[in-house]
Amino acid sequence: MARRKYLLGFSPARVGEPITYMIVKEFDLMVNILRAEIDERGGRLLLEIEGKPHKITSGVKYLKEKGVEVKELNEYVSKEEERCTHCGMCVSICPADAFEMDKKTYKVHFKSDKCIACGLCLDACPPNAMKLRIW
Amino acid sequence: MVRTVQQINQKIKKGDVLVMTAEEIIDVVRREGVEKATKEVDVVTTGTFGAMCSSGAFLNFGHSEPPIKMQKVWLNDVPAYTGLAAVDAYIGATELRENGNMDYGGANVIEELIAGKPIHLKATAYGTDCYPRRKIETYVSLKTINQAYIYNPRNAYQNYSVATNSSDTILFTYMGKLLSNYGNATYSSAGQLSPLLNDPECRTIGIGTRIFLGGAKGYVAWQGTQFNTKTPMKNNVPTRASRTLAVIGDMKQMSAEYIRALDFRKYGMSLAVGIGVPIPILDEQMMKCVAISDKDIFAPVLDYSIQSRNRKPIKEVSYAQLRSGTIELFGKKVKTSSLSSYYLARQIAEKLKGMIQKGEFLLTEPVERLPEDMAVEPLEIVSKEEVK
Ligand code: SF4
Ligand code: SF4
Repeated sequence: MARRKYLLGFSPARVGEPITYMIVKEFDLMVNILRAEIDERGGRLLLEIEGKPHKITSGVKYLKEKGVEVKELNEYVSKEEERCTHCGMCVSICPADAFEMDKKTYKVHFKSDKCIACGLCLDACPPNAMKLRIW
Repeated sequence: MVRTVQQINQKIKKGDVLVMTAEEIIDVVRREGVEKATKEVDVVTTGTFGAMCSSGAFLNFGHSEPPIKMQKVWLNDVPAYTGLAAVDAYIGATELRENGNMDYGGANVIEELIAGKPIHLKATAYGTDCYPRRKIETYVSLKTINQAYIYNPRNAYQNYSVATNSSDTILFTYMGKLLSNYGNATYSSAGQLSPLLNDPECRTIGIGTRIFLGGAKGYVAWQGTQFNTKTPMKNNVPTRASRTLAVIGDMKQMSAEYIRALDFRKYGMSLAVGIGVPIPILDEQMMKCVAISDKDIFAPVLDYSIQSRNRKPIKEVSYAQLRSGTIELFGKKVKTSSLSSYYLARQIAEKLKGMIQKGEFLLTEPVERLPEDMAVEPLEIVSKEEVK
């Protein structure tokens, strides 16, 4: 079993299609919707997909055939170490507990695999150490 | 057991002084007791690294050819105050760039100067017989500026409140981003490492005290603004924002590691200042003070959605609770965040300890004590006749 995050983008015309239903049903994948946005530019979905690696690959292929823009997401935000002062402001902001205050060293560690791409930390970090990678 | 600052300095010069940080001393006193610890340890070092809005720097640019009496000055488009002599100015940390954006200000100019970066200088003037020039645009750096010294009117607050938000919208404050419905709580004191919480009555910290400021040696210049001795106490330390320090130091000796521009979105800019103060262990009483730990220091939780200077505390919580990561408010667990860096506060206390051990930093006796009795008055809106 593998677990990967994908960022899906589709045009307004396609927003109506049950694409998540299709990949769950046809490819036996578990889908967790981390974030969804629909506006005049179309829809954007951030999915965490779990399943057999070859099924994930086929699922992604299916989505692309349907005209969906698919991008594997490794990092939505990143922490610039030189600017981080390890204050810990981000720790209580992040709904996914992606920031950990090490109680021994009092350094703040960012675990990007926990990130659900909500963006809340971006305007919360006083020295501007959190940077947006994509969306 | 009594020792003087002179005796401590003799030991520093001989290289056999025993220094500990305000964090290390807690366990020593717990293990060995106050009496024994007082005999052994000469100095305890403190540290803090947090947002200190009341900060800025005096600069002297030198004279141009032909000379100018600067009437308005901008540094990287951030206005500096120049109602002083011809080429003197004061750049305040919270002053914003004049382009409508709130993401760059005096704090950035100060940080960049210390980092050795070039800064764009623009000045205008009305021109006089002795200063004919009316406009100048050039670049300056910390190397070209004659004097550049930090003068911060209010730093190193002795304790401060904890901020939370009961409303249903996110608030952006100088206490950071406060999530709705008590979504989080933020605090700013370094607690057991904080300078003024380790010398609560300012017995050893006074005017002229040599301190660690932004990576260099600095001095306590005066009591800070809003210095307040009339606050409630618990375990011999104030449980409210109380005493403060005005500090001064040479920017040319500082390092950008310990001075950092902070951008509080939708509030403005502030400056994180690293300050460390050494506390001479004159007697057992002093040792008792520095042995205080986070579980004995309390701060009030205030609801920042109440936009009034008279908000009443929801409750008091200890720094041990705050640092644990959650506090309880109305039966609900609320995540906490520190705005000041405990990691850097500790590093500063360690660094200062090292400087003293190596004989690079001698202790001072205050030239004058800070006020023992001082209150903070509010600003009332009154007529000319009503004003006291
Ligand atoms: S809020 Fe910013 S500076 Fe503070 S610990 Fe988090 S990433 Fe680092
Ligand atoms: S974007 Fe959201 S989930 Fe990701 S680290 Fe920031 S606050 Fe946490």
